[in-house]
Amino acid sequence: MKNDSAASEVLTAGIESVPADVLTNTKKKFALPEGNSKWFFGTSGKTTFIGAAIFLLAICFLDSFTPVKVIPAYVKHILVSCLIYAILALGLNFVSGYIGQTSLGHAAFFGIGAYGTAVLMKYSGMNFWLTIPVAACIAALAALPLAASALRVKGSFLVVITYGFGEVLRYVAINTDSLGGSSGIPGIKVPTIFGIKMSKIGPTGKEGYLILCFLIVALLAFFMNRIEKSRTGYAFAAIREDEIAAVAMGIHTKYYKILAFVISAFICSIAGSIQVAYSSFVSPELLTSTQSILILTMVIVGGRRSIKGAILGAGLMTILPEILHSLKDAIGLSFDPWYILYGLILVIVMRVRPQGFWGNSSDA
Amino acid sequence: MDFVQQVINGLAQGGIYSLIAIGWTTVFGIVGVMNWTHGEVYMLGAFAGYFLCIMGMPFVPALLLSMLIGSGIAMAIDEFGYKPLRKKGKMAVAGFITALGLSTFLRYGANAVFTPNPRAYPDVIDYQLIPILTVGGKTLTISSIHLTILAGTMLIMVLLELFIRRTITGKAMLAASQDMQTLGLMGANSEVLIKVTFAISGALGAAAGVFVGTIYAINPMMGALAGLKGWAVAILGGIGSITGSLIGGLILGVAENLTAGFISTGYKDAIGFIIMIAVLLIKPTGLLGFKFDEKV
Repeated sequence: MKNDSAASEVLTAGIESVPADVLTNTKKKFALPEGNSKWFFGTSGKTTFIGAAIFLLAICFLDSFTPVKVIPAYVKHILVSCLIYAILALGLNFVSGYIGQTSLGHAAFFGIGAYGTAVLMKYSGMNFWLTIPVAACIAALAALPLAASALRVKGSFLVVITYGFGEVLRYVAINTDSLGGSSGIPGIKVPTIFGIKMSKIGPTGKEGYLILCFLIVALLAFFMNRIEKSRTGYAFAAIREDEIAAVAMGIHTKYYKILAFVISAFICSIAGSIQVAYSSFVSPELLTSTQSILILTMVIVGGRRSIKGAILGAGLMTILPEILHSLKDAIGLSFDPWYILYGLILVIVMRVRPQGFWGNSSDA
Repeated sequence: MDFVQQVINGLAQGGIYSLIAIGWTTVFGIVGVMNWTHGEVYMLGAFAGYFLCIMGMPFVPALLLSMLIGSGIAMAIDEFGYKPLRKKGKMAVAGFITALGLSTFLRYGANAVFTPNPRAYPDVIDYQLIPILTVGGKTLTISSIHLTILAGTMLIMVLLELFIRRTITGKAMLAASQDMQTLGLMGANSEVLIKVTFAISGALGAAAGVFVGTIYAINPMMGALAGLKGWAVAILGGIGSITGSLIGGLILGVAENLTAGFISTGYKDAIGFIIMIAVLLIKPTGLLGFKFDEKV
């Protein structure tokens, strides 16, 4: 019952808002949506972007001007990880946020991107920048069977299909000799940009990746912000709220479901390619189900469908374990407390705020 | 001949998968949540059995006591994990994520308490190879441990089937899997029913854990993969069908052994997921399952 009313609200909102906008505000036909136009404390998306960019550049190149190193390389390393996970979380948002299907197999696409780039660079000597779209297209193709299964089953059954998909790919990676088996492929060449090696930019060599990841995250945030209030975004919303009603309204649900999976895989694969270039090494570790679960929880804890939520979730879930690791070393614990706490955090967040930090309360 | 021998070897493992699968399928049928913690209940059951056997308890009482402990853990998970969400009516995604969180918590908590080292059960069952049939100079055998596991599994399944068909609580559970709301209107206490369901699920999971401990070494991470294979079996057999879970489990156990024996040991664990994906795509209701009607 509740679903039905929510669905009709979304559908009618989608239909009525366009003519209303056209009538009242002909100049601003495509006004930014209310929800996401305000970012942090009422700043607009543009201001947030400029602020974050200045902050990032300051972090990157502060050390170039000071005699002593102020910001340790470790901090920059964690920032790069945060941003790579943010790309993944934003990518998963298409499946778990927009069309409301839980996926536990997105590490597979991350892995396809990583292995794709590694294999292409190692065996065919392809340029790194060219391998990103090629690997992403392979990932998008690999997403097709998964999307096809999403057309037949959903909910808990789809969860286990996606999980199985990821696990099967992991076993393939472990058991294929040309992919390096369980030890992976080491020694991937450092990519160059305009003739400069990525590791030569900035004082620690991580700055190039930091800027690259930041630009991708910003681009994705912009892209997703626009897609939400486009025809495609409304179709996603209708499918999420009530699929049967969406079909009845004449929405081609199969097309949009496949689209969501393909875009999602494409984005996650980009994150994989960057991860490989950054660590110059790829292993089946990237494909574990723990990785998939981590990405999913980033989306859920931050709030599904929320762009800033996904970025926040990624940051939180990357920085917290690092803090706990150092705490562990400081106290001298024999085990890693992070995963125990991680489980508790999930339970507590779901109890207190089932929709996540920046989620929409209607889809808890 | 090798082929038949591999099939026989796979049956015991299949019986264990069936036990795990029934735990999944009963909870999913009645509460509607994918109880991700089931693999952890199985792991804790195995550890309970290990410590009881170490203390010198004979196998059967240790098994029964572990099953009791398993039901206690499963009921506690429901009480502290799912019940508050159920009261708020936020089971859909929040329930699933809570299950993921609890499972991670229990797995790594056990890892911290029991240490990650693998442990082997003491020799609780005398190991001997029992010949079944001799054909052309080759003898088919089954080990006494496998036979015990298979017999134990079958006994538990028969008792469960009797409980569900013959007792009023069992009949109420069957009704609950079809329509919980109407059952509530008929005067059944749904909370008690849910607790009974979790208790049965936990007991079966713990039994599977103890059985597996008699063959393989146990460690705190064992629940992750086995739990998921149980869900794969539940889907293969058809959600809500106990007979389906039994058949599905035996199929998976045999298929794994055949894969390890004739294809590659590396793909032994993957075959379960491949079968499951194929079944879900070809016949989403599983072998013996019924269709969940989608309400408009």
